[in-house]
Amino acid sequence: MTHEPQYEATPRGSRQALGGIGLGLRWDFLEEVLDAPHLDVAFFEVSPENYLSRGGYYPAALEQIAERYPIVTHGLTLSIGAIAEPDPGYLSALKQELTRLDPPWHSDHLCFSTAGERVLHELLPLKFCEENVRRVAERARRMEGLMERPFALENITYYVHPGEPELSELTFLNRVLEVSNARLLLDVNNVFVNAQNHGFDPYAFIAGLPLERVVEIHVAGHQRLESGLLLDTHGEKIVDPVLDLLEWTLERAGDVPVLLERDNNVPDLAELLSELQVLAQLRARALARHAERHAKSA
Amino acid sequence: MQRALESALAELTLGPEIAPEDQNAISAWLARNEVTPDDARALQRDFSRLLVYRQLVRRNLRDALESTIPRCIARLGARFDTDFADFLRVSPPVTRLLKDLTPRFLEFALPRWAQDPNVPEYLADLAQHEALQIEVATLLARPKDHVPAELSLDECVEFIDAVRLVHYAWAVHRLPEDTASRVLPERQAMSLLVYRSPEHEVRYLELGAFAAQVLSGLLDARLTLGSAVTGAAHRLGLPLEAELLSATARLLSDLAERGALLGKGPESGQNNPKTSNYVPNASKPA
Repeated sequence: MTHEPQYEATPRGSRQALGGIGLGLRWDFLEEVLDAPHLDVAFFEVSPENYLSRGGYYPAALEQIAERYPIVTHGLTLSIGAIAEPDPGYLSALKQELTRLDPPWHSDHLCFSTAGERVLHELLPLKFCEENVRRVAERARRMEGLMERPFALENITYYVHPGEPELSELTFLNRVLEVSNARLLLDVNNVFVNAQNHGFDPYAFIAGLPLERVVEIHVAGHQRLESGLLLDTHGEKIVDPVLDLLEWTLERAGDVPVLLERDNNVPDLAELLSELQVLAQLRARALARHAERHAKSA
Repeated sequence: MQRALESALAELTLGPEIAPEDQNAISAWLARNEVTPDDARALQRDFSRLLVYRQLVRRNLRDALESTIPRCIARLGARFDTDFADFLRVSPPVTRLLKDLTPRFLEFALPRWAQDPNVPEYLADLAQHEALQIEVATLLARPKDHVPAELSLDECVEFIDAVRLVHYAWAVHRLPEDTASRVLPERQAMSLLVYRSPEHEVRYLELGAFAAQVLSGLLDARLTLGSAVTGAAHRLGLPLEAELLSATARLLSDLAERGALLGKGPESGQNNPKTSNYVPNASKPA
């Protein structure tokens, strides 16, 4: 079953508040971004954890960049699925940062990254079960109120399911979205990596998602280990099958902002910008076909 | 259910290594963490792949430390592996911000190094010096409610937040930046004022004895300017003469010009610190 998108009316939290192809802002090329008169980047995405509770160069640079480009925020350490409640100090600092940057939405990962007081600094998979659906959904709803803006959850990669699953990944994700009313940050590379590692059809997976809830799409490169396992490294170029999956998704989801993530082996900014151009061409093709589909069905 | 899985994965990633072929150790690990029988069977079956998470967690945390105290870690060599493993096991990270990881690691490691004759004595100073660069580079600058327009002997002196006065037994701040270098630092008691410039660069001022005493009075003891100067002169057995007061004025004026001290700006002819008892040292970008 394919879900067709329904556009939202309000600008904040709408995918249409941003458009085009964005880039994950990394310190490796921060100065180049500052120095360039204007870059062909529709928006930048930042991880607030890199700017929270700190002064100095990087927050000052981000402030300048935010004056010139739209910014969207993508958290790393909320640990929404952990048993322990999210740290109030972290939430308070996050709220302050979001108030400063005023992104159209904030997102984090559908995972846990803490165990009691211990913070693991890695996105660990939640067991696909109803108990976790309820806990995550309740917190996602709370996040939206606390941060005073829409909240989106990203599907993560998982190399092992922790324990015996009660639900499929697709059902788990859909249940969380259904109960929480959260938006979806759809990472197509993660879908591809999981499909390869766990043996399912990535197209059928995406077709089974409520694409009208997708506010942003992430795309990145991955690494294949000797064992055949794919690792979501964000350290390589995007492979063609992932680009194909992205194009197929955009054709069905419509005008959703797309973000290129590169966290490791970060190349020159020029190389990243040329990757953005490839993505922009892909997006244009997909949106043209999306319009045709709508014209035919009208 | 989630609690048991969290606990098991935390132990697996932060704790002692469990060999994938050691079924007894795997069973003990699952039992210790009270994982349900169904989940335990699944985790036992997928144990080898589960170890990917151990590598990922440890690599992320190690990278964070290596980016802040790279020369110290390079000089520790294989010894660091033990410190790192024990740190994760005994005193695991509790911060969501990676910038706060290094102070926690040093809190754990410095007392161990002090007890171990195989760890060079200067490494503690080097580690603290490297960590200080990040600390000063990232300190929040709070808005000041009151900044005195002019310095007065009867009042305290207001500094920026991003400033630290440190004392080393070794001149570690003069060591090469190259992580491959094994040049040894000179054993020399040192006081440095470390501050962040308005351009966000971390800079160091190597202080002479009198300047260090005055700044210690102002920054650490929060004395009035008059008390800090007379206290410093007294401790060093120096007469409170015009030259000493003039050197103090030049010091404070220079710090104000550098943006480290808030208050009255420098007056003409008081900018050059050459004749004062401290020497500006090299700067390093934040």
